[in-house]
Amino acid sequence: MLFTALDISTSGLQAQRTRMQTAASNVANLSTSINENGERKPFQPRYVTFEATEQPGTPGLAGVRVASVTQSTAEPVYRYDPDSPEALQQGPYAGCVPMPNVNLLGQMTDAMEAVRSYEANLGVFEMSKDIAEQTLRILT
Amino acid sequence: MTFAQRRHDVLAGNIANVDTPGYHARDMSIEQFQGDLSEAIEARDAPPALRMLSDGELDRPLGPKIADVADNSKAILRHDENSVNMEQQVAEMAKNRILHNTALTILMKQFRMLETAIRERIT
Repeated sequence: MLFTALDISTSGLQAQRTRMQTAASNVANLSTSINENGERKPFQPRYVTFEATEQPGTPGLAGVRVASVTQSTAEPVYRYDPDSPEALQQGPYAGCVPMPNVNLLGQMTDAMEAVRSYEANLGVFEMSKDIAEQTLRILT
Repeated sequence: MTFAQRRHDVLAGNIANVDTPGYHARDMSIEQFQGDLSEAIEARDAPPALRMLSDGELDRPLGPKIADVADNSKAILRHDENSVNMEQQVAEMAKNRILHNTALTILMKQFRMLETAIRERIT
């Protein structure tokens, strides 16, 4: 089909956008100490998993989609801050505030890579569009 | 071409409503249009049933109604109950543009053939 490559590139664009949103959410919640259920637990970073999908009607060609967005199970980072009202009162981490275990450098690299991959998919999309338009030139 | 133009309007509406809560992406089915079109052509080519009206319009509306594709598995409902996927809509628009231009080129060629016949020489 004329438009199969366009569909595949679109799936790549969607997947990279989701990845970008995940990285943005992780960076935004860098110091969030209450999770989305209102519990006093630090935010757990999210990670996207991509999955190849069979393109309908054209066996052998694969698009991509986000298989799942999983929450990290990493231990929180304990920051010593005894004056904070959120500081733990007892246990081995007394005087510490549990903070999200987000690797900022890793998240920024992931975001940059998502942007580059998005651009690459967009480039392929433009090329496929050009091919379709060149095919049209046979008529003229 | 008319179908492509109308579909373009529908897709433009989807993109305009990308941030409207509760909006569901709409589309027109190409398959149904092509089915209707080939039926209409067959009906036209069959001599007794030349069902064109005087103003050149077909006697029944060609092409499907605007359908809601919110139940489509491609469309994920976001938290604001909006199902517009920007990339998908833009891709559909690009495809629609190519289909429209194909139809336009063929129409232009048909006019050129008429022109050649009128001039009685190949220009």
